[in-house]
Amino acid sequence: MRFFLSTSIVWLFGLISAFAGSETHDHLPANAEEILRLGSFVVTNSMLMVWIVAAFIIIVAQLATRKMTTVPSGLQNFVEWMVESLYNFLEGILGKQLVKRTFWFFGTIFILILFTNWFGLIPGVGTFGWQLSGPGVDPHDTFRPFLRGGNADLNMTAAMAFTFALLWFYWAVTENGLKGFFAHIFAPKGKFSGIMSLMMLVVFGFVGVLEVISILFRPVALSFRLYGNIFAGENILENMMLMGGKYLAWLPPLPFYFLELLVGLIQALVFMLLTAVFLKLICDHGDHDEESEHSH
Amino acid sequence: MMFDLLAAVPAAESEGVVGEIMKTFNVTWSLFISQCVSFLIVALLLKKFAFGPIQAMLEERRSKIAAGEEKLKRIEQQLAESEATTAAAIAKANDEAVRLINEAKQGAALFTEQKAQEAIASAQQILVKAEAAAKADRDRLSSELKREFGRLVAATTSQVTGKVLTADDQKRINEDALATVEG
Repeated sequence: MRFFLSTSIVWLFGLISAFAGSETHDHLPANAEEILRLGSFVVTNSMLMVWIVAAFIIIVAQLATRKMTTVPSGLQNFVEWMVESLYNFLEGILGKQLVKRTFWFFGTIFILILFTNWFGLIPGVGTFGWQLSGPGVDPHDTFRPFLRGGNADLNMTAAMAFTFALLWFYWAVTENGLKGFFAHIFAPKGKFSGIMSLMMLVVFGFVGVLEVISILFRPVALSFRLYGNIFAGENILENMMLMGGKYLAWLPPLPFYFLELLVGLIQALVFMLLTAVFLKLICDHGDHDEESEHSH
Repeated sequence: MMFDLLAAVPAAESEGVVGEIMKTFNVTWSLFISQCVSFLIVALLLKKFAFGPIQAMLEERRSKIAAGEEKLKRIEQQLAESEATTAAAIAKANDEAVRLINEAKQGAALFTEQKAQEAIASAQQILVKAEAAAKADRDRLSSELKREFGRLVAATTSQVTGKVLTADDQKRINEDALATVEG
């Protein structure tokens, strides 16, 4: 029954989306587009999308936590399940102490990315908008949609990735201390003596430089990975829709809706996992054996 | 789409690779900062309205469960102690009951023995009395019989001999007759 319902919903989404976009849409630009300008403040269609998703998440959170009971039910139960599962999952990666400090960030990352990705699949996103006309209008891009997938905007993915980069540095320094932080990157791992220690200093110094380069590229890679996957998904849906012609535009994208639902979840998970692992790597004190000994 | 992206590259050649990327994807400081602010607002609101209360509730539930388990353990311990106390009390009561029953049995046996002895003594007394009474009766009857026998023997002798017997005769005849009868 559930499978039938979910399948029907996806078919319906595809149908509505195809009809909405079949007449007016031309192509999906690589960047988010301006839909409103308030002085120097520009509102893009992806920003609007993120705000809508954020409002939805906050409202759901408020509704779920407004009248909390010890024995949960309904929405509270669902939200609690989600938060608890995420917390336990992250606890397995980061450890008890670190997850307490950082859960707000990783939880937000996962939930926001997931719902932003899925909201991007709702019919009308990228297909409802207006036609541009007049001089200075790009003939390849005459359509301006009101909404665009939030993560199909590099500004958004970069905002999350670079925010993480700053927080990563802050958490790493507060967990290790400044000396420990640099030692973690550059200091030789293991115990060496004599000439070997000198050689290892050079080797690990070089490895440290590579590590720094890798660290600097992490936010860039994170940004482009998420953006690329979501933008590619939207492109596929868009092009599939254009392939179907006027009356069958709804048909070709249908299988890809299932795929995009999965991609939305996987990308949210990948972003959260990678950021969590990056943090764990720098905050790892190598005390697993001690912990496991205690647990035994 | 790909054509659009490729078309955008030559126009931005003079701005370097980063500039090209920024231009192609329309990455600007204002949009970037706006999205950062949006993300942080969402994170803070989620922390305040979702993660905070839910984690507090989960923690509260965990502590309640722990307290419940602790209470259960205490109750089980109390129950075990109570069961042990009850078992000890029952054992003590049993011992006491057994002791009382034994005492009662012993008392009853003693009482029965005492009463039996009393009954035996009483029966013996009755027997002695009866024997004495019977002996007295027999003696009385024997003497009466002797007297009557003597009188009959004397009367018969008097009638047979036709003489009046003296007291001595009568006494002698009586003794002879009795000696013959008793002999």
